[in-house]
Amino acid sequence: MAALSWLHGVVRRRPGRLVATAAGVAVAVALLASIGAFLSATEAKMTQRAIARVGVDWQVEAQPGSDPARVLAATRHFPGVTRALPVGFAATTGLSGTAGGSGQTTGPGRVLGLPPGYARAFGGQLRTLSGRGDGVLLAQQTAANLHAQPGDTVAVGRAGLPPAHVRVDGIVDLPEADSLFQRVGAPPGAQAQAPPDNVVLLPAATFRTVVAPLAAKRADLVRTQVHVRLRHDLPASPGAAFTRVSGQARQLESRLVGSGLVGDNLGATLDKARSDALYAELLFLFLGLPGAIVAALLTATLAAGGAQRRREDQALLRTRGATTRRLVGLAALEAALAGGVGVALGLGIALLLGATVFGSASFGASTLSALLWAGGSALAGLLIAGAAITLPAWRQARSLTVAAAHRAPPRPGRAPRWQRWGLDVACLVGAALVYWQASANGYQLVVAPEGVPQVSVNWYALLAPILGWIGAGLLAYRLAELVLNRGRRPLARTLHPVGGPLASTVVATMSRQRGLLARAVALVAVTVAFAASTAVFDATYRQQAGVDARLTNGADVTVNEPSTATTAPAFAQRLQRAGGVASVEPLQHRYAYIGPDLQDLYGVRPTTIAAAGKLQDAWFAGGSASGLMHRLQTQPSAVLVSEETVRDYQLSPGELLRLRLLDGATGRFATVPFHYAGVAREFPTAPLDSFFVANAGYVARVTHNPAVGTFLISTDGTSPAAVASRVRRVAGPTASVTDITTQRKIVGSNLTAVGMAGLTKVELVFALVLVAAATGLVLALGFAERRRTFAIASALGARARDLGAFVWAESLLVTVGGVVLGALIAVAITAMLITILSGVFDPPPDAPAIPWAYLGGLVALAAAAAAIAGGVTLRRLRRPAISVLRDA
Amino acid sequence: MTAPRPVARCDGAARTFGHGPRAVVALQPTTCEIFAGTRIAVTGPSGSGKSTLLHLLAGLDAPTLGTVTWPEIGPRDALRPSRIGVVFQGPSLLPPLTVGENVALPLLLAGRTEAEATSGARAALERLDLADLASKLPEEISGGQAQRVAVARALTGHPVLLLADEPTGQLDHGNATAVVDVLEEAARHSGAALIVATHDPEVAERLPERWLMRDGRLAFTTAQRAWLR
Repeated sequence: MAALSWLHGVVRRRPGRLVATAAGVAVAVALLASIGAFLSATEAKMTQRAIARVGVDWQVEAQPGSDPARVLAATRHFPGVTRALPVGFAATTGLSGTAGGSGQTTGPGRVLGLPPGYARAFGGQLRTLSGRGDGVLLAQQTAANLHAQPGDTVAVGRAGLPPAHVRVDGIVDLPEADSLFQRVGAPPGAQAQAPPDNVVLLPAATFRTVVAPLAAKRADLVRTQVHVRLRHDLPASPGAAFTRVSGQARQLESRLVGSGLVGDNLGATLDKARSDALYAELLFLFLGLPGAIVAALLTATLAAGGAQRRREDQALLRTRGATTRRLVGLAALEAALAGGVGVALGLGIALLLGATVFGSASFGASTLSALLWAGGSALAGLLIAGAAITLPAWRQARSLTVAAAHRAPPRPGRAPRWQRWGLDVACLVGAALVYWQASANGYQLVVAPEGVPQVSVNWYALLAPILGWIGAGLLAYRLAELVLNRGRRPLARTLHPVGGPLASTVVATMSRQRGLLARAVALVAVTVAFAASTAVFDATYRQQAGVDARLTNGADVTVNEPSTATTAPAFAQRLQRAGGVASVEPLQHRYAYIGPDLQDLYGVRPTTIAAAGKLQDAWFAGGSASGLMHRLQTQPSAVLVSEETVRDYQLSPGELLRLRLLDGATGRFATVPFHYAGVAREFPTAPLDSFFVANAGYVARVTHNPAVGTFLISTDGTSPAAVASRVRRVAGPTASVTDITTQRKIVGSNLTAVGMAGLTKVELVFALVLVAAATGLVLALGFAERRRTFAIASALGARARDLGAFVWAESLLVTVGGVVLGALIAVAITAMLITILSGVFDPPPDAPAIPWAYLGGLVALAAAAAAIAGGVTLRRLRRPAISVLRDA
Repeated sequence: MTAPRPVARCDGAARTFGHGPRAVVALQPTTCEIFAGTRIAVTGPSGSGKSTLLHLLAGLDAPTLGTVTWPEIGPRDALRPSRIGVVFQGPSLLPPLTVGENVALPLLLAGRTEAEATSGARAALERLDLADLASKLPEEISGGQAQRVAVARALTGHPVLLLADEPTGQLDHGNATAVVDVLEEAARHSGAALIVATHDPEVAERLPERWLMRDGRLAFTTAQRAWLR
């Protein structure tokens, strides 16, 4: 009963400190819980997108000697299978055709037999480029090699048999060629097998006619796969979905008792999504947790603002016989009230944010994880309240006498242990060492071995930012205290414009309260650093997501001509007139053999491609982007190759490289000399693996073919989608026209796709709230605690201007000191985060993107919060001093 | 020969806190004059209006009825930091300033240079035999010493009116005596008017004139009592 009366009194007489603590708890809980909502939404989206990307979930391959019909039947009856169709695979010795009076012959290839309705059942496996989408189809590259078009006849070579002739109905692209031609049953982690260069797809009946004699003679060259579509009622988390799908695949294999092996495409895609999901969780760790810790520190600081009053309350209770246990119990009750209100408020805010920003009014992907996130956040909130109120009360109750409790807190004496032991410097040195060691070479934060359920995180590397945050926060405190203690004279000179003749006295008061002020400066510094590092990380992430989309699409709008087309560079002038076009850059796309390997080759105009393709230095090695393009210009036979090719072929700079390219005049592959000039890691429209970049003029001259494969279009500010629509009309139906806006939504990493923007938007808003609270509230509450001091000064004759000297000098020190130290911490922490979390950036950034508008707003907000705190304090001091003294 | 002008004058001055039915009248309409050199003890039980009267005379509060003026000094703005010295009830030193800085503060607020303020403070502390405490913080000195320092601070500007509100309320007998000695000596030495609000009869007996307050009214002064006799 007495406890309730006490609580009632606290609510009535000290609502400020309760509200401040509850608000701090609410911010921390809302931040933690909304990150739970983000992870929940993110992981579910990652799983959905992984599922959507897969055309054929499983490719069940009948093993030699087994009956494909029985494999098909067993697969169709397996639980969860919604569609299963047989696909025939056969090897061909080569394809040949006659075009324009000259005969073309390819190397070995594959013949596929597709059942009726295959294209409809597995959408996305085939993309019709010309002719019909059914019947006899040639893969795009094969058609290019044979110079074949719909209507032409192609001979399919059969080992030991005369070739079979088929009439081509259409040309298709095989977007999923890698998985379609995978080696089913290859051990996890095995080198991926390159898809065949020459492919002809036949209707099942034609396939049987063409392949039956081959099967009778060489059964080893013919096999059957069952392509499967599964029911997609999978767990929301990519990890759990992967475990279930891969488990089902193993189960089907055990049912087939050796007669079939499963190529688990869905499992493989979910496998990749797992590491992205882990990155999302690590982003939470690095971007969310510091925010929650800053909110906790802020809460503790706000609660500590009422420490003197609490001490006096305790002293009164002591005189009335309250034991230490009783005092701690009352403090715990106060903490429970502030914490409970804060938790309820925080969870409510998080739910609202989840529903509006992330589209998920839940705290977790499953009920259990939702309960864990909500419960964990609530517990964290209650712990923060307890640590902010109960812990100091317990320490005071144990160590203070009634008389001491009535006195003001003692002036800072001996430095705290961490300061004497140099914990801040030790942490920073440790952070630097771990950072240097972790990022030295071959660093990977997340390792998800292919096919293995477990993923591992390089937790050691995470020590760098953790130690960095701790060390930087403590060092900020040390520096602020050092300036206040040892730098009184220079500080008084600096603050003279604000303090006037009272500057020395003002600095003296600040110096004697250096512990409190240093804590405020460090808190503002850490909060500003959190906000700034999150903003820079977010801006860099968005910048790189844009670069990723640009790399994939090549430009604002990209026109890809079919491989059979022979579009001249002059076509660029027609595209230029489409409307909304600023510039058009022609880009050759060829295939070139290096030894037995076929790679893409891009012919560029060295003088214009750097600007048109917005080339970045990080995409190249052995020189800057502009330097290497200059090299291609001055030495036309120079070629840029991939790191993998340099390694595989042991290339040295300047070394002669003989590539085989298709000659436009003869229609045959001819050897062309190039000289290795540097490494290209990334290039607009280029694939992720190996490719070449060469001088377009040189390529056109030596191959007697100036044809352009791609046109990169920069818009004049008009929406890329609108320009793409106009360009489509000019380019005709055979060309594929894509725009960057649409592409950004389709491709990119899982993290890009799920919209980190939601998380960072919430984080950035929270960061602003924290910065405003750290400066404004901490100052205002500090001033409020000292209103008796101000009132005495006022009673002694201090005018508003004199009181302003005290208030503004303190505000200036806390704000400017905090912002400057925060900016320095942010620079170091951001650099560290970008390196440690390099896995989320694709491609890695040349330099971090600086969101000046947000950072400017951040500083303005801190200044405004401090100004409001000072203004409100001075306004309240307008009351007659004696009434303040009477109330205080 | 012109009659001396009072240092302070209350003309029907009254002070009410709050409004309506909850209003509390702390000081009923009061008329009085204080002249230079007078030394007055204002006595009366707690809540009788002693502190309210002192606050009005010090210009720290404004009357809700009537007027308070300072004919010898000038308008309210001219009262502080130096013309009126006030010693408050309870601890009134600024905790983050040393004793020396506390005493120098009114001089700095009055526009003196730092050197002048420091030397003025040193002189005031020496006069009260407190020079040894100059570099100490308020928390490092006793209650009696703190109150003597507060007196020193009130004296630094050489005020013409010295007001002390229960200056010995929290002190033992020895310290209380020392504080009153200092106040009396300072007033005598400077010719300033001294008003001490106290409910300690021993302190009140030390001053030549005593005013009794009851229920917010100035019941009578020693002059009136003499006239009654």
